Amino acid sequence: MTESSRPRRPGFGPVLWGSVALFALLFVLLTYQLAAATEPEPRPVVQRKVIKRRVVTTVVPSPGAPVESGGEPAESSSPSEAPPVETAPPVEAAPPVTTSAS
Amino acid sequence: MSEHDVSFDAMGSHVRLLIGEPGPAMETAEEAAAGARRFVAEFDAALSRFKPGSELCALNADRRERVPASALMRAAVKAGLTAAERSGGLVDPTLADEIEAAGYLESRSGMEGVPLADALAAAPPRRPAAPATAARWREIEVDDDGGTISRPPGVRFDTGGAGKGLAADLIAARLSGYSRFVVDCGGDIRIGGADAANHPYSISVEHPLSGRRPYVLRLRGGAVATSGLNVRIWRDDDGRYMHHLLDPASGEPAWTGLIGVTALGATAVEAETLAKAALLSGPARGRELLAATGGLLVHDSGRVERAGSLSVRPRMRLPEPAGAAR
Repeated sequence: MTESSRPRRPGFGPVLWGSVALFALLFVLLTYQLAAATEPEPRPVVQRKVIKRRVVTTVVPSPGAPVESGGEPAESSSPSEAPPVETAPPVEAAPPVTTSAS
Repeated sequence: MSEHDVSFDAMGSHVRLLIGEPGPAMETAEEAAAGARRFVAEFDAALSRFKPGSELCALNADRRERVPASALMRAAVKAGLTAAERSGGLVDPTLADEIEAAGYLESRSGMEGVPLADALAAAPPRRPAAPATAARWREIEVDDDGGTISRPPGVRFDTGGAGKGLAADLIAARLSGYSRFVVDCGGDIRIGGADAANHPYSISVEHPLSGRRPYVLRLRGGAVATSGLNVRIWRDDDGRYMHHLLDPASGEPAWTGLIGVTALGATAVEAETLAKAALLSGPARGRELLAATGGLLVHDSGRVERAGSLSVRPRMRLPEPAGAAR
């Protein structure tokens, strides 16, 4: 009859140095990967302009009444100092305050 | 930021009031609007050329040289004289006979006009208007202390040149304590209130040919007025096209190459005077007149020209073409 012998436990030294070696190996590998990596190309940002369309229903006084849309060409004339006014396309407001001949 | 918004017809035009929050111990915006509406009715009753019982008609018919006049009548005459002085006689308040001879005998409010494009095609060669050599307006004197108006009998006064602007200015004076307000008397607009400086009003400008509103002016105060040929235009018995902006030198409707002018000013009377004077002056001189305060000139072709401060184009953006929105 033979008696099975218990496996010997590894010594403290090999375990320590094995762990250090494995850690160093992984550290070097990851550092190399990090250094070799390149910046990813930025993804193009899709810009979408949300345009809110409102259908304004009003009582039209007569056929061909003015509608608020369109643009007229403009020309500059004499320059002057900056005024407290700005020009911009019509804003949606119902009804707008309007200056016109009367 | 609530506002009371009220509209009504008066002075042969459309009047609109936007009134913000009242100051301490002031009447509500609704009450102020009602008061302003009563004032406009009194203004119209006293100063209309088309109401036989008005004080203006009584003044014009009076054969005395010196005539007692109300404070409102004196203010209207002074506004007309200021306009004449400021425009070098182009905006002449003494053309009542001439405007009636042209066929403008009654209010044209609600009357259907004729197409401006047809009138332009048939109009005589364009030339700037000029002041009348007689300059009858220089013979009018207002005496506030005595409460009278003096003028040679027969010289008739017409408030048409500055009437709506004066009404807007007088209403604006009543609303000065409110946070913000707009007074629109038939397109002659006065803006005020401390809050308007922070949140400017957007005022659309109507194109005289297309009827569209291609521009918006953002105003923090002051006034804007438009003068144009597209309204109050008619044909006389001979088929000639007539309108209400007369060349003082000839007494006939002026065809100067401009069909509309929008002018900015400190007061509505000033803006209205500048708009009329620029239109009567034609493009070259009109451009100069608007250089100081800014404005828009609309040529016979419909082309819009920016003048003065508006030519800087601080935030000009044309509307996007149709179909651009998806």
